[in-house]
Amino acid sequence: MARRDNDIWWRMAWRNLWRNRRRTAITASALSFGFVAAVLMIALMDGMLEQLVSNGTRVITGQVQIHADDYRPERSMHDTMGGREGLDLAALVGAAGSVTGVTGVAPRAYGGGLISSGDETAGAVLMGIDPRREEGVGRFGASFVVGGMPGPGEIAIGNAMAGTIGAAPGEEVVVVAPAADGSMGNELFTVSGVFRLGMGGFDDAYVLVDLGSLQDLMAMDRSRIHEVAISVDRTDQADLVAARVEEAVEGLADGLVVEPWSVFHEQLYFMTSMMGAANGIIAMIIFGMAIFGVANTMLLATFERRREFAVARSLGTSGRSIVRIVVCEGLFLGLVSLGAGALLAAPVVVYFHEFPLDLSSFIGTYSFMGSAMQPLLTVEYSWDGPLVSAVALVGTGVASALYPAWRAIRVPPADALASR
Amino acid sequence: MSNEHAVRTERLWKIYPQDPRPVEAVRGIDLTVSRGEFVAMAGPSGSGKTTMLNLVGGLTRPTRGKVWIESEEISALSDRRLANLRMHRIGFVFQSYNLLPVLSALENAEFTLLLQGVPARERRERVRELFREIGLEGLEDRRPPKLSGGQQQRVAVARAVLGEPALVLADEPTANLDSHTAEALLDVMERLNRTKGTTFVFSTHDPRVMERARRLIRLVDGRIESDHEASG
Ligand SMILES: Nc1ncnc2c1ncn2[C@@H]1O[C@H](COP(=O)(O)OP(=O)(O)OP(=O)(O)O)[C@@H](O)[C@H]1O
Ligand SMILES: [Mg+2]
Repeated sequence: MARRDNDIWWRMAWRNLWRNRRRTAITASALSFGFVAAVLMIALMDGMLEQLVSNGTRVITGQVQIHADDYRPERSMHDTMGGREGLDLAALVGAAGSVTGVTGVAPRAYGGGLISSGDETAGAVLMGIDPRREEGVGRFGASFVVGGMPGPGEIAIGNAMAGTIGAAPGEEVVVVAPAADGSMGNELFTVSGVFRLGMGGFDDAYVLVDLGSLQDLMAMDRSRIHEVAISVDRTDQADLVAARVEEAVEGLADGLVVEPWSVFHEQLYFMTSMMGAANGIIAMIIFGMAIFGVANTMLLATFERRREFAVARSLGTSGRSIVRIVVCEGLFLGLVSLGAGALLAAPVVVYFHEFPLDLSSFIGTYSFMGSAMQPLLTVEYSWDGPLVSAVALVGTGVASALYPAWRAIRVPPADALASR
Repeated sequence: MSNEHAVRTERLWKIYPQDPRPVEAVRGIDLTVSRGEFVAMAGPSGSGKTTMLNLVGGLTRPTRGKVWIESEEISALSDRRLANLRMHRIGFVFQSYNLLPVLSALENAEFTLLLQGVPARERRERVRELFREIGLEGLEDRRPPKLSGGQQQRVAVARAVLGEPALVLADEPTANLDSHTAEALLDVMERLNRTKGTTFVFSTHDPRVMERARRLIRLVDGRIESDHEASG
């Protein structure tokens, strides 16, 4: 049997689409706007998620961390990386720093203790840091109200803590802390500066101490640290970078775990995942509503053409071919709308990317799960949103045509021919 | 002429379930049309002409009775087989032309050939040849709305006969045409009947058309009232 010329069905579908130009234009416009709305909404949401993650990780934690495998969640001071012996710190920092995508590497040790100034005493988390390296990961360095990062024998405290114990830069404080060998370490430190991160739980509890000084205070070798915090150039690539870092530091010590923020910052990850899912649901609602609207229009169109379908069928056209005509029309409608929508969406997305919506005159800054939110609606460039929206749009066109197509072949040809 | 029939019906009934009481559109018609016949069905409005043609063409299923197209009994066929049968063996001409408005004259005419899977080149050749014969040359690329009624109906006839069906069913093919155009169309159908041996069964109200039929069947209230060989 000779090859069937299938392009006739495409041709008929395409021409059918343009028979009622105004109706097609209106339907396509609605779909295009739906597409633009979905793309923009996803882009804004991505921007918001990016801001959330970025704020949640750029202040202190970084996007990737290395620990000893038993360090989290108890955070015992004994669980240093590489066990009691520790490891070659320079080699570790060097290896992690040379991984593509890594922008900063900061080694840290933690302890707990009491800080006293005069009669006032407060409990504190002691964070031992390398001031220069810390600048590449966290935001402490940029948050000083007075003074700066601590050098050897120095300590930096948050403004809330400074208020509690009444200490100012240049003054001395006493730090008492349990040490790794079971003794109590105590030492005088000079306040190098007061920082203000603007986030509850940090400014009144965290203090920064020079890494070497903290190790001395806690009777730990210089090779022993609890954490390496790593910053990456793209937060959405953290998983990938974590895997690369894991490879790079393998063999430097036993039992090292490298985790991206989605693992060690579970709450934030949960939150962003929820928002992402909500995003998807809203997009589904947009296109779900569109399906009914478009299906209604197509139903009208196929009803108007029922005589033609009946004629085609009485000439021997199969029901399948009729379905193909109607579904192709829906497909073309989706593609035309996509073309128009893409032309519309591109400048809108570029505009909002270049000029983020600043809502600060309406809403103040808000601290949220360790993430300081700016009232700024930013748009991130990404292919995912437009791609998903495009598939949804074309899918909408096709899905809208299914019921009308089914209806088109339901009517017996003779009845359709008889009706006027 | 062969004795073998093109169409045969046996006690054919069509009852439309209708309020307040069912309509008996066709009431037990026995009809045999031989190959190559040129038959007109006449009768008052509502006498069952259209219903009869739809039954014979497999567009409507009979309430009772049987229909044969050549040797095939069609009332038992599936929709798919019926569509196939129409595509290969039956051509339809409708009262209101019923061309597909999105297709050009040529595309409309070649539609059946396309369904039959005839290659494009052969299709075009056959359409052009027939268009020359029936005075449609040069109108190949026009869409139906830009054709006169007579031209549209000739395209419809071309569409019906190009697939070389054994049988062409035409429901009042001249009803919307002026008498001159109607005569011209009948000329075309007659010529195809003579040269290709295609069987034609058409319904009509038009006395001038009845005159040209070689057999005239009169329907009244879903029954055959008379059935004459005419002069032709
Ligand atoms: N689909 C249908 N449903 C119900 N009744 C129908 C249907 N089609 C036809 N009828 C009825 O069946 C009878 C025969 O109709 P049909 O159309 O076959 O007559 P006709 O001879 O073709 O008339 P006309 O010359 O007006 O075209 C009429 O009474 C008509 O009302
Ligand atoms: Mg009729």
